[in-house]
Amino acid sequence: MSLRTTPFHARTGPLSEGQAWRRWAGYVVASSYELAHDREYHAIRNSAALFDVSPLYKYMITGKDAARLLDHVVTRSVGKAKVGQVLYTPWCDNDGKQIDDGTISVLAEQTFRMTSADPTLRWLHLNASGLSVNIQDISDTTAALSLQGPSSRAILQIAAEQDLSKLKYFRLTSAKIRGIPVTISRTGYTGDLGYEVWVDAAQAVPLWDAVVEIGTAYGITPAGMLALDVARIEAGLLLIEVDYFSSRHALIEAQKSSPLELGLGWTVATDKERFNGQAALEAERRRGPSWQFTGLTVNWDSLERLYTEVGLPPRLPSQAWRTSVPIYDPRGDHQVGYATSGGWSPLLKCYMALAHLESSSAAPDTELRMEITVEHRRKQATAYVTPLPFFNPDRKRA
Amino acid sequence: MTASFDAIVIGAGANGLVAAHYLAGAGKRVVVVEQRQAADHSADIGWVPPRVIRDLGLSQLRLEQPDPWLTVPLDGGNTLELSRDIGRSVEAIRRISPADAAKWPEFSQRMRTLAGVLEKLYLAPPPDIETRDPRELARIGGLGLYVRRLGKQAVIDLARILPMAIAELLDDWFESDALKGALGALGIWHLKQGPRSGGTAFNLLHHHVGSPAGVFRPVRSNVTQVLEGMKRVEVRRGNRATVLAKNGRATGVVLEQSGETILAPLVVSSAPPRGTLDPVAIELDPEFARAVRNIKERGVVARGTLTPDRAPPPSYANLCIAPSLDYLERAYDDAKYGRDSAAPYVEVQRFDGNRLELHVQYVPPGTHEGLAQRVAQVLKVRPDQLQLQAAEGSLYHGELTLDQILFMRPVPGWSRYRTPIAGLFLCGSGTHPGGGIPGAAGRNAAREIL
Amino acid sequence: MKKYDAIIIGGGHNGLVTAAYLARAGKSVLVLERRPRVGGAAVTEEIFPGFKFSMFSYVVSLLRPEIIRDLDLPRHGLHILPLESTVTPMENGDYLAAWGDHDETRRELYRHSPRDAEAYDEYGRLMHFMAQAVKPILGMVPPDPTSFSPGDLVGLLRLGKHFRGLGAERLHALVKLMTMSSADFLEEWFETDVLKATKSASGIIGTFLGPRSPGTAYVLLHHYMGELDGVFRAWGFAKGGTGAVSESIASAARSFGAEIRCDAGVAKVLVRNGRATAVVLEGGDEVEASIVVSSLDPRRTFLQLLDSKDLPDEFVSDIRRFKFRGSSGKVNLALDGLPSFTCMPGIGRQHRGAFSISPSLDYVERAYDDAKYGEFSRRPYMDIVFPSMIDPGMAPPGKHVMSIFVQYAPYTLNGGWTDAKREAFGDAVVNTVESFAPGFKAKILHRQVITPLDIERITGLSEGNIFAGELALHQLFFLRPAPGWAKFATPVRNFYQCGSGTHPGGGIMGASGRLAALRILKDGR
Repeated sequence: MSLRTTPFHARTGPLSEGQAWRRWAGYVVASSYELAHDREYHAIRNSAALFDVSPLYKYMITGKDAARLLDHVVTRSVGKAKVGQVLYTPWCDNDGKQIDDGTISVLAEQTFRMTSADPTLRWLHLNASGLSVNIQDISDTTAALSLQGPSSRAILQIAAEQDLSKLKYFRLTSAKIRGIPVTISRTGYTGDLGYEVWVDAAQAVPLWDAVVEIGTAYGITPAGMLALDVARIEAGLLLIEVDYFSSRHALIEAQKSSPLELGLGWTVATDKERFNGQAALEAERRRGPSWQFTGLTVNWDSLERLYTEVGLPPRLPSQAWRTSVPIYDPRGDHQVGYATSGGWSPLLKCYMALAHLESSSAAPDTELRMEITVEHRRKQATAYVTPLPFFNPDRKRA
Repeated sequence: MTASFDAIVIGAGANGLVAAHYLAGAGKRVVVVEQRQAADHSADIGWVPPRVIRDLGLSQLRLEQPDPWLTVPLDGGNTLELSRDIGRSVEAIRRISPADAAKWPEFSQRMRTLAGVLEKLYLAPPPDIETRDPRELARIGGLGLYVRRLGKQAVIDLARILPMAIAELLDDWFESDALKGALGALGIWHLKQGPRSGGTAFNLLHHHVGSPAGVFRPVRSNVTQVLEGMKRVEVRRGNRATVLAKNGRATGVVLEQSGETILAPLVVSSAPPRGTLDPVAIELDPEFARAVRNIKERGVVARGTLTPDRAPPPSYANLCIAPSLDYLERAYDDAKYGRDSAAPYVEVQRFDGNRLELHVQYVPPGTHEGLAQRVAQVLKVRPDQLQLQAAEGSLYHGELTLDQILFMRPVPGWSRYRTPIAGLFLCGSGTHPGGGIPGAAGRNAAREIL
Repeated sequence: MKKYDAIIIGGGHNGLVTAAYLARAGKSVLVLERRPRVGGAAVTEEIFPGFKFSMFSYVVSLLRPEIIRDLDLPRHGLHILPLESTVTPMENGDYLAAWGDHDETRRELYRHSPRDAEAYDEYGRLMHFMAQAVKPILGMVPPDPTSFSPGDLVGLLRLGKHFRGLGAERLHALVKLMTMSSADFLEEWFETDVLKATKSASGIIGTFLGPRSPGTAYVLLHHYMGELDGVFRAWGFAKGGTGAVSESIASAARSFGAEIRCDAGVAKVLVRNGRATAVVLEGGDEVEASIVVSSLDPRRTFLQLLDSKDLPDEFVSDIRRFKFRGSSGKVNLALDGLPSFTCMPGIGRQHRGAFSISPSLDYVERAYDDAKYGEFSRRPYMDIVFPSMIDPGMAPPGKHVMSIFVQYAPYTLNGGWTDAKREAFGDAVVNTVESFAPGFKAKILHRQVITPLDIERITGLSEGNIFAGELALHQLFFLRPAPGWAKFATPVRNFYQCGSGTHPGGGIMGASGRLAALRILKDGR
């Protein structure tokens, strides 16, 4: 028994039709429950998709200096945030290079729940010298569900017996679902109307049962990571180890990225006291970052032409990809960047990618070339720089 | 109530006072803040660099260079006395081992050559091997050439001997246990290591700095007293100072006892690096803070005094109880497991003709039940004649192990007395060149500041 | 009588590597081995019928990849099987395990200390970098800082440039690794004692130092250099035992035309006018060669094979000062069944990996204390593997072989290594295992105890030091085996040295053998 199962496994396990599991932070989670992920994806944009996101690393930070610690570590202003607010933030090393990204939920005064993609306990402790703060690893004892899609609010309002229409984007509230205490945050990884529900691991299964029971009438669909991948690319959201590498894992300087290079300049506070990487980031802001993280849309006609040349219809990726794809200038001989995530958006009917581009080639609507392999040969299709996100429905913030 | 100065120096030991006087000499208004209420009149052990004496005009400085410099009790009631004159030492050693006596002059010469290299290194900040600055690279090149010119033997010695264990070095040269024990003891001074541990040969050379060939105990002086007597800087006693910093910049200190704040754009601390930086850890990047916490400063020394029974005072200047390398190694074994040595290494140092001070190893932090008894047994005196105080922390503010010297001291990459906090400098034994060289760090730091 | 281009004295793995490279370059090569088989300390012997033992060295990891490629060793029978786990039984019945899967190991460490679980990843990454940083040094001929020759100056500058290119963080880590004790180095990273003890133990392998002795962090790094292909998949078994490594190199050498003669010990090297011209076998026969290469350790090479009149006085004293001080022992057992360890009862995948008897730093340090004063460790550090679990051919079906590598067994034992002392040492080892795996003793069918004296007697390694000379900073790199003679040549012309007593030192690397061969070929041009 190498990998652990999440607190929801008693329910998610039997749902898997094709035994398509993958590992996430030492846990097994479903890549998709059905044999293909398509219906699961459509549920995100059409009704409500239910994700098990328990493998996120979670930490509870409390104490007199809790806000001070977090302000020292992350780039956003935590001390100025209000109770009930959720902050999305990266954090950096002393050179301003990004280590990880996650959320900080302000549960109460000096009481914060922080999530991260990589284990962060040690980093928090290293930054806490001289501070009066309590850091608790609640990763294994806290389970989390993500309910995303146009019907998500309706389902949760019934489940929580609470009016959620006033719960604003990136805010949280506490509630009870069938007597189970939960926190509901209006957050997610799909760029759509959606909520994440945080619960004590011991109550995970009853929570799942409650939400699914109520949601069935609304088309609730358990969904796996393949579906989530498509939605997150549509939303322009980056993924660690795919779209960027933690500076702590980087083998060479070139593998590191700063938040400014990742389109996260908006998360870097300009009015905070000293935080990790501040000086380097201020200097970079003045210089202007050398790279930008943007969207790319592949031009359909140029794509179709590549396949027509060999007598085939265009072949679109059946799943989102996470490999590195070179991007060239319009002449096709000088590489100006690389895409790290991409795929076909069934909703937007376009071939989209997330890419790192040299700043000089990153202006919106810039014409570039993306490498595509057609019948074993490397070709290039035309692609245009597209500001992120690709998909931004009103209901996301409504 | 706040006061404002150009510079605050924390600690009125030799390094702190030297730094203060250099800064004052450059026209700065300096105040020195010292924790202890009463001035400490114990002697300073270690070489005071001549340049410091010259620059600060320390005309009242008294250097004690006893002759013989070491007395070693032998079996059968005799003693071995090592003199400043190499020939006389040879005669003395010949009585216990003719072979060792024959090797003494060459050994002394070779060690002196190596100590000379260290002296050169100690009078300047450590070489910055990562630099791109052509002047610094030229200086390093110059050092390299200097060593090369000392001859092939010196280069090989430097490479071979620096990492060696003092026991191995001494076993290669000598056969007499008593002689090896006496020399080996210097190799373990202030280190939580035994003579068989690597790096102890370096420690011997470090403490040999400033002494002539064949003299393996550091000179003593009254440099701190002399500096205190000089009126150019204000010294405030009886208060522990904690550094204040904001937004990456030092702003002054706060005095623990009185609560008073003193403001200054420049704070120079001769206190241990860890103690200095801990209160402002929030201003530091976490990896630097971690490196500071990793500084090894394990105390193993107890110092104190011995009140002799009857006049006339003993004739020796330094009495060394370390009958063999194995004796020292077993003493260290106890320390490894957190215990005071069952059979400690004891050295009795006579000052000013009458005062007898003690250096005892190993006394690791903890309770010290029976320590006086054990020391008394070794010295063959009564426990009530002894007064001992365990240092608990390293008197050198950071052990002189090979990974905590030169550009690694006090924190790797931060060996030029600066800290990541603008305006906060370090100048004590915890910096280059380390403890036992009173004033050197203070001078280097001051010159770096000015 | 035939005159060879090169005679290699000693058929250990380094000698065989030199022979293979020289033969591949077209030279006529003769390898002379004293024992009935090649391999030296890398041999497989059927000590008890049906039970095959890697008698001395028992795992492979440091064998240079370029040698495996250049000599095409897989084609000559080399098959390395991975060792996937290490379990350390603790004195309180618990254990610490490192498994092949990263997530699983992380969870195991987390059980002991959440912070250590994270620190482990950082530590592993750092050590990976450091091994990469030091790797080029393994493959270089050490430049001599005392010489003014342009070649040496260029070499020194290149070395300096390499170190500066590491970046501040790694350079500092390198300095720490070169100077600290493994315990102190690990204490900067971890808080779990049993983890520190197990890791620091690789700093004391073959070394007469304890985990708290400065200099052991270097040995830690030295052993980490095998972990280049991936964090855990580095230590392995050769199918057929360690002897298969030597046999594959020998086969490669033969395929290039080298001749290998066993039962042919060399007594002396003949020197005329400062030049080596021939060797004299123990039987009295003389064999001529243009070049003579010794793979024996420096003491035997210079103080036994040659007369001191053929060597400069200073060199002779340097060699006399070169430290050996064997500290390792080995106990090889034939078992009726596998032992069940209290901390992890039953037989399972843990038996396909190693057991490390290193429950705490104090435990390992006390084992060293015993040796310091001339005794073998009463409760020794041990590295235990069951070769038959990985390669079933090593034992009859249903039975097993158990290989126990032990620290410390000092070469210079109070009263000397008598037969009684050897058995007492074996008892100490077996009793210690029994305390962690009750019922184990009853499963022992046969027992072979090897002391440093036995190692010396059988393989020729002076004082039983498994590295052919201690891996201490003051006798490494340009100082190995003597200042000024670290480039595989010797003060005698046409006489070279290629054993582990040269740079980069011991462990079954083959690096010395290859570098010596390249030097010889370069000189020949």
